[in-house]
Amino acid sequence: MRDHTLNPFIKYLGRRFFFLLLTYFIALTIVFILPRAIPGNPLASILSRIFQTGQANPELLRSVERTLMEEFGLGKPWFVQYVEFITKALRGDLGTSISSYPKKTLELIIPVIPWTLILLIPSILIAWIIGNTLGAFAGYRRGSLVDRIALNTSLIIGQIPYYWLGMLLIFFLSVKLKIFPGQGGYTQGTIPNLSFSFLLDVLSHYILPSLSIIISALGGWAIGTRMLVVNELDSDYVSFSEHLGVKSKTIFGYVFRNSLLPQVTGLALSLGGALGGALITEIIFNYPGTGYLLFRALSTLDYPLIQGIFVILIASIYLANFFVDFIYAIIDPRIRLGQGES
Amino acid sequence: MFGTIFKPLFRNKKFIVAFSVFILIVLMGILGPILYPKDPTSFAGKMESPPSKEFPLGTDTYGGDLLAKLLNGIRTSLYIGFLTAVISMVIGLLIGSISAVKGGVVDDILMSFTNIVLTIPNILLAILVATYLKVRSAEVVAILLGVLGWPWFARAIRAQLLSLINREYVYLSRLAGYTDLQLAFEDLIPGIATYALMAFILFINGGILGEAGLSLIGLGPTKGVSLGIILQWAVLMEAVRRGLWWWFIPPGLIIVALTSSLLIVTTTMDEIFNPRLRER
Repeated sequence: MRDHTLNPFIKYLGRRFFFLLLTYFIALTIVFILPRAIPGNPLASILSRIFQTGQANPELLRSVERTLMEEFGLGKPWFVQYVEFITKALRGDLGTSISSYPKKTLELIIPVIPWTLILLIPSILIAWIIGNTLGAFAGYRRGSLVDRIALNTSLIIGQIPYYWLGMLLIFFLSVKLKIFPGQGGYTQGTIPNLSFSFLLDVLSHYILPSLSIIISALGGWAIGTRMLVVNELDSDYVSFSEHLGVKSKTIFGYVFRNSLLPQVTGLALSLGGALGGALITEIIFNYPGTGYLLFRALSTLDYPLIQGIFVILIASIYLANFFVDFIYAIIDPRIRLGQGES
Repeated sequence: MFGTIFKPLFRNKKFIVAFSVFILIVLMGILGPILYPKDPTSFAGKMESPPSKEFPLGTDTYGGDLLAKLLNGIRTSLYIGFLTAVISMVIGLLIGSISAVKGGVVDDILMSFTNIVLTIPNILLAILVATYLKVRSAEVVAILLGVLGWPWFARAIRAQLLSLINREYVYLSRLAGYTDLQLAFEDLIPGIATYALMAFILFINGGILGEAGLSLIGLGPTKGVSLGIILQWAVLMEAVRRGLWWWFIPPGLIIVALTSSLLIVTTTMDEIFNPRLRER
């Protein structure tokens, strides 16, 4: 029997991989359809905008037009356009930027991605860890004063949007108290390098945007884990252990571990929203990441750049999703050992 | 019957406080623009003046009266939140209940569709769609947010219904020859009503926060004032770094007060109606 069936771990990951790949294709298809389906040809509006500004010389304009015609594949049948679009996207050819013509969009996107990753990943992980721990303690002491205070503050903190918290932090800690710099990823005028003083400078610019993500994401995790722990405390194994006289610390350990499992999946599902929030936070802080590039692309209506950013962002979210699935499969014994599959 | 349902709610202090805050803000949005009938878009006189008797919340760079903007903004944001909630609710209820009642292939197809929409990062997709729409009314923004927000609700409704469907009284109704639709409306929907009401409130929050987020990147409604649009202009005009606190603090406070009061309303409802959470 065992020889005929695949390892359940691999099977689970394979299924998830296939699902995410399918979803990524759908996302790519949406990116493809949108500019073509919406009335008011965006290509024409781009060109008319360039004409209006009148800065571009006719020759440059013609070459922009030719590039655009070619990259959007206009004039060809839609399925040819679609196949071209998908193969190009998979090859990493995301077209040419209009606002920074003739640079490739990928050239503009790659340098900003590390900034966003450095901002987003540590911040959401710290928020996840602190929030879940707080929530678990509150849930375990359900009904106590600590629980009520923690619950109510988390409820309110969880509703503060990242970006508004960012504005408050800039106003109070940067403008009023002048403790931290309030904008940019490093002091303007310095050239990024790997010296100690530059890294220190980056760190001081990092604290406020990161803090605004950590604080506002923390509340949601705390509430979720609290609820899961409260539900878990009703299980038979908890009362059984209590009757056996197991130490309360040990029981808390069991309950905490079981409550964390759904929160791991929650982490994967929250990534999209967290990324969206981080993009806006970057705009507030003029932080040199993907959000800031997207904002520039939006204000110049640089459609190829906007599309490119989306193709990359959605792909990174799915990669992260798959990574979380992988972790989940490792820590959930039901998947690891292939039990409980229905 | 109405009394027995709502009485325990109004005995809960937390519920009363949160509900009053919510009603107060709703009244500000509905009556505010009537009681304080200044045009939020016109030039009121002074530029960037701090709160004074003449302008209780000060003015912005274009001399706009910020109190008038705030009151009208609350109105638009509430409207968008409400409309978003209606749209998400209808889609989620339809897909979740059809999936649960029909089962089989229909269930499989609808649930894979739901999972796909759930996994597509909806804020990013909303941003992408909004970039291609040159004119965005409040309704368009609400549709955009509503159409992307329903999946978790559809899944929850399906799960709830599946647990209800196996109860005895539903079995009896089936024997009595109820159609699927009758079954849904008479036996099942009443069983999920409080849950759906709570989800509705969460959708309102999602709509309000979503609008603010979209507006901040310049993709909110193209006409009118919303809470997000006030924040957007505050950011564009560097109000934060120039210390013009009266511009960006009030709209944010209202968003947080509105969404957290609604959330507290739902959690207290949950505590009261959900016997598993009731304190023992």
